[in-house]
Amino acid sequence: MNFETMKQALVAAAERAGLTDYEIYRETEEQVSVETLKNEVSAFSSGVSGGVCFRCIVNGKMGAASGELLTEEAMEELVARAVANAAVIDSEDVPEIFAGSPSYAKPTAPAPTPADPAEMKRVALALQSATYAACNKVGDGTQSGTVSTVREISLFNSKGLSLSNRVGITGAWVYAAVRDGEEARDAYRSRRGLDEAALAGLPREAVDRALAQLGAAAVKSGKYNVVFDGEQFREFLGTFSSVFSAKAAQMGLSLLAGKEGEQIAAPIVNLTDDPMREGAAMQTPFDGEGVATSRKYVVENGVLKTLLYDLTAAKKAGVASTGNGRRGGYASSVSIYPYHFGLSAGTDSLDDLLAAAGEGIYITACKGFHAGASEVTGDFSIESEGFRIRGGKRAEPIRSFTVAGNFFDLLKNISRIGNTVCWSPLGGFTCFGSPDILVPDMSIAGEA
Amino acid sequence: MIRKQLAEEALSIAISTGADFAELYAENTRNNSVSLMDGKIERVGDNLLSGAGIRAFLGVKTVYASTSDLSREGLLKCAAAVAAAAGDLKHTAAVRLRERIFPNVHPARRIPTDADAKERADLLREGCFAAKEYDETISQVSGSLMGVDHTILIANTEGLYATDRHIRTRIAIRAVAARGGENQDGFYGPGRGMGMEMFETIRPADVGREAARQAVVNLNAGYCPAGVMTVAIENGFGGVIFHEACGHSLEASSVSIGASQMAGKLGQKIANEKVTAIDDGTIPNAWGSVNIDDEGTPTQRNVLIENGILKNYMIDRLGSRRMGMPTTGSGRRQDYTFEATSRMTNTFIANGPDRNEDIIASMEYGLYCKNMGGGSVNPLTGAFNFAVNEGYLVRNGKICEAVRGASLVGTGSEILMNIDMVGQNLDCGTGMCGAASGSIPTNVGQPLIRVSTITVGGR
Repeated sequence: MNFETMKQALVAAAERAGLTDYEIYRETEEQVSVETLKNEVSAFSSGVSGGVCFRCIVNGKMGAASGELLTEEAMEELVARAVANAAVIDSEDVPEIFAGSPSYAKPTAPAPTPADPAEMKRVALALQSATYAACNKVGDGTQSGTVSTVREISLFNSKGLSLSNRVGITGAWVYAAVRDGEEARDAYRSRRGLDEAALAGLPREAVDRALAQLGAAAVKSGKYNVVFDGEQFREFLGTFSSVFSAKAAQMGLSLLAGKEGEQIAAPIVNLTDDPMREGAAMQTPFDGEGVATSRKYVVENGVLKTLLYDLTAAKKAGVASTGNGRRGGYASSVSIYPYHFGLSAGTDSLDDLLAAAGEGIYITACKGFHAGASEVTGDFSIESEGFRIRGGKRAEPIRSFTVAGNFFDLLKNISRIGNTVCWSPLGGFTCFGSPDILVPDMSIAGEA
Repeated sequence: MIRKQLAEEALSIAISTGADFAELYAENTRNNSVSLMDGKIERVGDNLLSGAGIRAFLGVKTVYASTSDLSREGLLKCAAAVAAAAGDLKHTAAVRLRERIFPNVHPARRIPTDADAKERADLLREGCFAAKEYDETISQVSGSLMGVDHTILIANTEGLYATDRHIRTRIAIRAVAARGGENQDGFYGPGRGMGMEMFETIRPADVGREAARQAVVNLNAGYCPAGVMTVAIENGFGGVIFHEACGHSLEASSVSIGASQMAGKLGQKIANEKVTAIDDGTIPNAWGSVNIDDEGTPTQRNVLIENGILKNYMIDRLGSRRMGMPTTGSGRRQDYTFEATSRMTNTFIANGPDRNEDIIASMEYGLYCKNMGGGSVNPLTGAFNFAVNEGYLVRNGKICEAVRGASLVGTGSEILMNIDMVGQNLDCGTGMCGAASGSIPTNVGQPLIRVSTITVGGR
């Protein structure tokens, strides 16, 4: 059943049910991935999936139901389920089926084309052999791969709005495992595209990163000046992005509630959300409710300019939606998320930041954000690895320590910002980006 | 869902170009949820997921294709995609399937996705209301009540044709306590592999009060000091320590390719002799239980570590081929868009020889972790970290003031050796585990244990 037929069946069912306000949201995805192990392609996978969500307003409440089974009967049932579900809602939020924005941006990213599986295999194998060739310490567990995804979103509603967006991303990754005696270290690198010349540096980067951690020692607990690699700090932005949700603020779940217009970060801090970011593979001209998206400063010169809104939160606050009513997939309800959310570049090189830190710690890997960070409190305690900074230069590798603090304090304490923003290479509609940053006096827990 | 004859046809196509084994997995999954925030039901989730995946093996190489189109045409197209990627040989292989019925040891009386949404909403309200009433500092309560009705079909070229049905119910409540511009939260989310009858033993109000209690404790707590300490970790979700520190490193997905620190260590002492650890997918109605795994193998009680000696790994079909060892019924996946791989079910440290009161009494200074949060691990290095959701300092054998913001950091091999006391109050906690084959329900568990030294991250 194609989208047109499905739409007709749903519209007919909605009319039979006497509905006047409804919306049909369809999302499909085609993906191909290749994985290598040792010197051969060990796994090849392809998938076509997709489903539809039907939402409708009944007695002032929004009901929804979704599914992947796309028969006439299933469409009839979908409408019935959505109507029944609306009856359970007692939230006083005022739902809306959106009539449309005056205009929608045109994506500048090239139209997606599914990657050629043969090329994906060839590139993955070439990366794998280059990774093994980079150093004789590279061993078992090392893998390379390629991925390709094409996603299509269509939205149609009873107010006459009809929108669609088709995007795709292709890329490659290398996971290098290196060993020296009993010690093992690893690193993961990824990049967009399948162009072999552009990917040529990837294996070396992964191997060098893993090798650099060999011999890493524990570090003494204490307060240190910390330089966060941009690739790591963007993970902090991702973890804490929900504090910028107006809904979270309205519900008392974000400490930024009531702080629009106030200084919440150091004056050098600028945070933007850019759905149509130039150079991004997946750009988003309209959100999950059909509202046009736009680039905005969330924090400008340290001042919280706006929170992120969907239609419901905007209505409650008496402002316009910022076009951040997102859907995580066809089956997900509308929630507030940023798109390409990043800390703007400053002027310092990495060497400048290390020099300014003097004595300190350069953090190049962090993990376990889902366990070690709370958006409600802003507190974090994150397992990290990296290097000591001695005499303003990168020194010996260190591991198994945590960096702890509070995100809201951290925003105020950023003292210098690097000159290059690193965006997550294989992120989709949502990407986080950050330059390297310097934060003085962070708590580090290592050995006594 | 898919008739035997169509499954036979699809599998014959999948192996028509040289694969030596093919498997078809199909599912219909109904997911229902009600969500509450600020005292009001604001969302009802209602999704019917359906699709299939076909996998072929060529030795230890795999080809997988999946589709949400369960029509004959969609399924055969999926099989053809597998055949095209698997090779260019041409041979015809007839596949003959025989239906096999596995006993259901996880019966459900009242299917949660069939239960009246109003009933589910009322249970959730009861839980959230109790959380709000717990203390005047409770500023916000959110919660959800989820039900899953998951029917799977597995057929393979060894002749297996089997279906299974997993029913799951879970209630999860988060409470926030606030005072003077500061927030702290607490969470409790028990679930079972059963229907709405779960609420005959798990009272929503108790769930709400437990979430609120944790939030209030944390609001009144100071920050945890950082450093290397002796730590006691309580039962239930405390078992996340074993899940992260060791469980993932015992999965065939990393062991079989040499990417685990536990590879090649069968028969060796890898833990303190007080440690016996088990992965058991057969516990009736437990959250992580299934009758058969997502490759059609019955689950089992798999002793991983016995008195400190590594006895077995968790092995799926591909891992079995790579390692030359039998599958342990550990092949699991979130849904048809993922290939199954080796995963945990209900994984726990068994009761040990120590009395719980002796464990606390033995600690001169340290941290008592009453409730743990989630965590993550790198199987290659064994490095893990996890959050302590509710912790107390211990001085001179007595549990003292609450501390917040702690995390435990270490490596699997170190901590297993350092678990030097194991208590006797084994209990399990409910979790979702994310890995290569998606997010799946798993239980973690243990009795109270003592870890002689571990790095505590705090500030």
